[in-house]
Amino acid sequence: MPKAAPVKPAPFDYHCPGDLAEAIALLQQHGDEAKVLAGGQSLIPLLSLRLSRFDHLVDLRAIEELRGVTTDDGSIRVGAMTTQANLARSEDAAAVPLLAKATSHIGHYQIRNRGTLGGSLAHADPAAEYPAVALALDASFEIVGPSGARRIPAADFFISTWVTAIEPDEVLAAAHFPIWSGNCGWAVAEVARRAGDFAMCGAVCGIQLDGQRVSRTALALFGVASAPVRAHAAESVVTGATVDDLDLPDIGAAVAATLDPPGDVHASGDQRGRMAKTLVPQVLAAAIDEARHA
Amino acid sequence: MTAGRFMGQAIARSEDPRLLTGRGRFIADVVVPGASDAAFLRSEVARGRITGLDVEAARSAPGVRAVYTAADLNPLVHQTSLSGMPDAPFPPKYCLAQDDVRYVGDPIAIVIAENRYLAEDAVELIELDIDVQDPVIDVDAARDGKGDLVHPEIGTNTPQVIPLFGDPDLEQAFADAADVVRDTIVMHRYVQVPMECRGIIADWDPYGEALTVWSATQSVHEVQAFLAGLLGINSNKIRVLQPDVGGGFGQKMMIGRDEWAVVLAATVFGRPVRWIEDRRENLTAASHARDERMDLAMALNGDGTVVAIRGEMIENIGAYQTMGSSGMGAFVAPFLTNAYKIPKVGFASEAVYTNTCGKAPYRGPFLIYAVGIEQLMDTAARQIGMDPLELRRRNVIRAEDLPYTLPSLQCFDAITPAETLEQAASMIDYDGFRDKQAAARDQGRYLGIGISLCVEPSAIAVGALGTEAAVVRMDYSGKVTVLLGSSSTGMSVVTTMRQVVAEHLGCAPDDVTVIQGDTAATPYSAGTGGSRSAVLCGNAVAQATIELRSKLTEIAADALEAAVEDLEVDDGRVFVRGTATKGMTFAELGQLAYVGHDLLGPGTTPGLEATHRYKAPPFTFSNACHICTGEVDVDTGLVRILRYVVSEDCGRMINPKVVEGQIFGGVVQGLGGVLYEHMVYDDDGNPLTSTFVDYLLPTAAEVPTIEVGHVESPGPNPLGVKGMGEGGAIASPAAVVNAVADALAPLGVTVSGSPLGPKQILDMIAAADGHFESTSS
Amino acid sequence: MREIALTVTVNGDRLSRTVEARRTLADFLRDDLSLTGTHLGCEHGVCGACTVLLDGDAVRSCLMFAVQADGAEVTTIEGLSERNGELTPIQAAFQAEHGLQCGFCTPGFVVSAHAFLEEHPNPSDEEIRDALSGNLCRCTGYQGIIAAVKRAAENGRSS
Repeated sequence: MPKAAPVKPAPFDYHCPGDLAEAIALLQQHGDEAKVLAGGQSLIPLLSLRLSRFDHLVDLRAIEELRGVTTDDGSIRVGAMTTQANLARSEDAAAVPLLAKATSHIGHYQIRNRGTLGGSLAHADPAAEYPAVALALDASFEIVGPSGARRIPAADFFISTWVTAIEPDEVLAAAHFPIWSGNCGWAVAEVARRAGDFAMCGAVCGIQLDGQRVSRTALALFGVASAPVRAHAAESVVTGATVDDLDLPDIGAAVAATLDPPGDVHASGDQRGRMAKTLVPQVLAAAIDEARHA
Repeated sequence: MTAGRFMGQAIARSEDPRLLTGRGRFIADVVVPGASDAAFLRSEVARGRITGLDVEAARSAPGVRAVYTAADLNPLVHQTSLSGMPDAPFPPKYCLAQDDVRYVGDPIAIVIAENRYLAEDAVELIELDIDVQDPVIDVDAARDGKGDLVHPEIGTNTPQVIPLFGDPDLEQAFADAADVVRDTIVMHRYVQVPMECRGIIADWDPYGEALTVWSATQSVHEVQAFLAGLLGINSNKIRVLQPDVGGGFGQKMMIGRDEWAVVLAATVFGRPVRWIEDRRENLTAASHARDERMDLAMALNGDGTVVAIRGEMIENIGAYQTMGSSGMGAFVAPFLTNAYKIPKVGFASEAVYTNTCGKAPYRGPFLIYAVGIEQLMDTAARQIGMDPLELRRRNVIRAEDLPYTLPSLQCFDAITPAETLEQAASMIDYDGFRDKQAAARDQGRYLGIGISLCVEPSAIAVGALGTEAAVVRMDYSGKVTVLLGSSSTGMSVVTTMRQVVAEHLGCAPDDVTVIQGDTAATPYSAGTGGSRSAVLCGNAVAQATIELRSKLTEIAADALEAAVEDLEVDDGRVFVRGTATKGMTFAELGQLAYVGHDLLGPGTTPGLEATHRYKAPPFTFSNACHICTGEVDVDTGLVRILRYVVSEDCGRMINPKVVEGQIFGGVVQGLGGVLYEHMVYDDDGNPLTSTFVDYLLPTAAEVPTIEVGHVESPGPNPLGVKGMGEGGAIASPAAVVNAVADALAPLGVTVSGSPLGPKQILDMIAAADGHFESTSS
Repeated sequence: MREIALTVTVNGDRLSRTVEARRTLADFLRDDLSLTGTHLGCEHGVCGACTVLLDGDAVRSCLMFAVQADGAEVTTIEGLSERNGELTPIQAAFQAEHGLQCGFCTPGFVVSAHAFLEEHPNPSDEEIRDALSGNLCRCTGYQGIIAAVKRAAENGRSS
């Protein structure tokens, strides 16, 4: 515990740019001394406890182009400053049901009223839900910097705990999530000490059925490594198989065997692995069940 | 006992409207003009020698008005003993850490600034050099003298030792027993966590040499007494005021060294100083609780009757306690047999210092007397192949056993543990649950049921805690004001005492105002805690009200020319029984008493005021039985409580909703303690659970619906009440532990205490005999 | 810029102030505007005692800087209360069900309940518990609070 045990943030200069170009210019100007402020639900506690500090905060709240959900040719585009609450309510976003399902696990509604999709993705907490959803669905991100915009897939975005591919002078502007067609089912499950807590271990899953055969699988885990984990091998086993032929516990065990999760006061690495072993079958079964009734 | 017109009624609380509308005035809301805000420099290491401390940069930081260290404040300390405990082996009598630090959070310097933001900025500028030394964290290392001394001046790490004592035939009883059951019961470290942190405002008048203090305390008079000693000034030069307080649970019974520093700083600074504790400080540096273990053994006959019990207890009391050395052994020893007829007892205990945050009392601070035996009862039941309910039935004290004298010579006069055991078992449908449990096991689900009985030594009334006084005064307009020494922090003292007055006087509760929490206005009280308000305040108020009523009727008798015996008092009037019109209102009598006193009879004194200081017996025993059912998910280690029932006997209830509310709060604190709350230190003495992100409190989503049944056996005092504020917290830990143990028993898991978070449960399952494989579907 | 000009409507009053950027909305309300009904229980966004409404949405005011509320409407417990001595239906339900003891967490619960019931006037028991899980209480064991919100929902439906 630091000697001051603070709960009030250290001083900073506050900027509220009106457009993305201005925001990026500020980030360029101040480099490591600057930090983007989105919903603040993760950043502000860190600042208050003085676990992090920055001389400049660049608040994105006035940049309208960063808000809103639109449907665009087989995927949805979610502006980074869309709040989690609005994302869950959005009719456009309902085309990617995994987003709303994941949202209900995030904290509490007071947090979701301020927290943003972009903020959660950029913060990249290993136990967060949205990064796993993005990874599972092969989402792609629009990142804007001084030299313009680039698009990168989720698989290249999450690097490590609180570390992403966003450069210090860039802003995550939006995330694109592909829309699945056909008979689909979705599930999110996590093991947490209490409602809304950081997950000790979690899994997200999407299943597309063609009759009794699985035509598409998306499976990712969170809380089990420094970044979300895509269960490619398990997906290969599931995709193409007949639903009744699946040995879900086996698949769960196989996924767990690939993991080497960290431990902390709430659960050991081994225990997280065991949780994964039960969560994987759980989300597969739930998604399959939902797809069957779709 | 039937409820009275006001006693026994679930009257809505008069405290509520202000609090519901945001008009509560808590310590952080109190405005004292010209007050500065304080922040502390605290130790980041658990043990070390301070080799350098330079506050100059902090002193000249923006908005900083003063910075004080041990060099400034410690010489001002006269004494730091508690009233009634002048010679307690209390750690060294100083305020701020001087030459060394003894726990993470140890206060070293105080910065006084324009506001808390600037004060925290300035603390960061203080240069502090500490030669880190190996801390004494482990209790066993500390007590065996292998580690260094936490307090070298005291010369020992075990300031309170009760050597094994008890029945001379104890060993023989164990040797002769058909069965002996042993276990080491562990209660882990957790924390009081009132929703409001501590806070204090000190305003020193250098001209009058008088001190005014606003303190978020459970005892204004104890703060006053302590500060008189601290500063070496007369107690009647100190006024302590209690604002609204957001819970205390024992943490706020006494003020800590950081709060002393605020007061001392104010006397040097000469302007008011305010300190509002923050949550990190509250979790890591204010005070901790529990963290004790007991080697417990019971000797049983072949039929399951327990013939002897022996407990040897070790308590980790940390570095600086707020109540002397806070060893609880003296309170555990007499009640080791709890609700049972056990003729032979042996007990020993040690309180041990470590370089961790020191302890303060926490709701039922001696609760291991109940937690231990209740867990061991279940263990014994499993060992001898008897159902735990049946084992308790064979040993519980019954009505025909009363009065029952314990081996400790304490006497239970009016308790009903057997009745509560049966009521609780019926409420939860004990046999029905056993069937459900068996069916669930067939499906690979692990349900369990846990019983916990407790006889609660409430209203501890020894020494300074032994009495309570009330001044009950009717003014010239016939309205009643009660001056009470209490300092309620959510216990509904105001509402319940209005009910007592209304019942004993004959008026409406709305006609009564209760003043408390101000040393200038109220009679001495040791404070509000220890489940003492109903018994002590209640009877003091009742007796004073009865005396006032007597005065009232005496005056009315003169005015109405009637005999006192013929008068009734009701609805704010005194009238001749059987007449509708021959009476006077309280307002008219008030006028007579204060203004028209020439008309009073020769023997009648003017005025309408009565005072009574009530002395209670040393203990008033209440009792309860808790039964809890839960399901353990053996893959995740998560526990879900299914049902929770309480059958309680607190004698006559003043307000049933208040009683239930106290039970609910205590139960959830017990449940929270076992399943969620865990104050963790690493091997270097760093607290790892320093915010609410890691120190987990249960929320509305985790708690069961708590069902309460009542049994009533009157308390041995005129009101017939008993204390019960701590009972919910005392009985609950064992109920939860026992339910988990019962659920996991088929897996060969033995559970000896807490914490029982997922990590611990999964560890236990993995370690159990008969290697267990997860059978997830 | 460390000091920022701010225009915000609080409980219906439109105000202009200059505040330090790092000042939390909670401290701004409590210390600058003397609206002390909003309480600080943790200052790191977990306990919910600081809950206020921002443009009608329940938020933790310790997890916002005052400057982020520029142009917004903030409603505190004071703004949700009457001034004539009458309790609102939610407040009356809390009193009827003994949903408070020390009262420190209470404003946060009342504001959260207000927002929740506006959006979910017909909640199930489980939905109530889930909705209340973002506010901590230490005195009541939540029993009276859950009962109060349930009662307020039922009263709301019958009126």
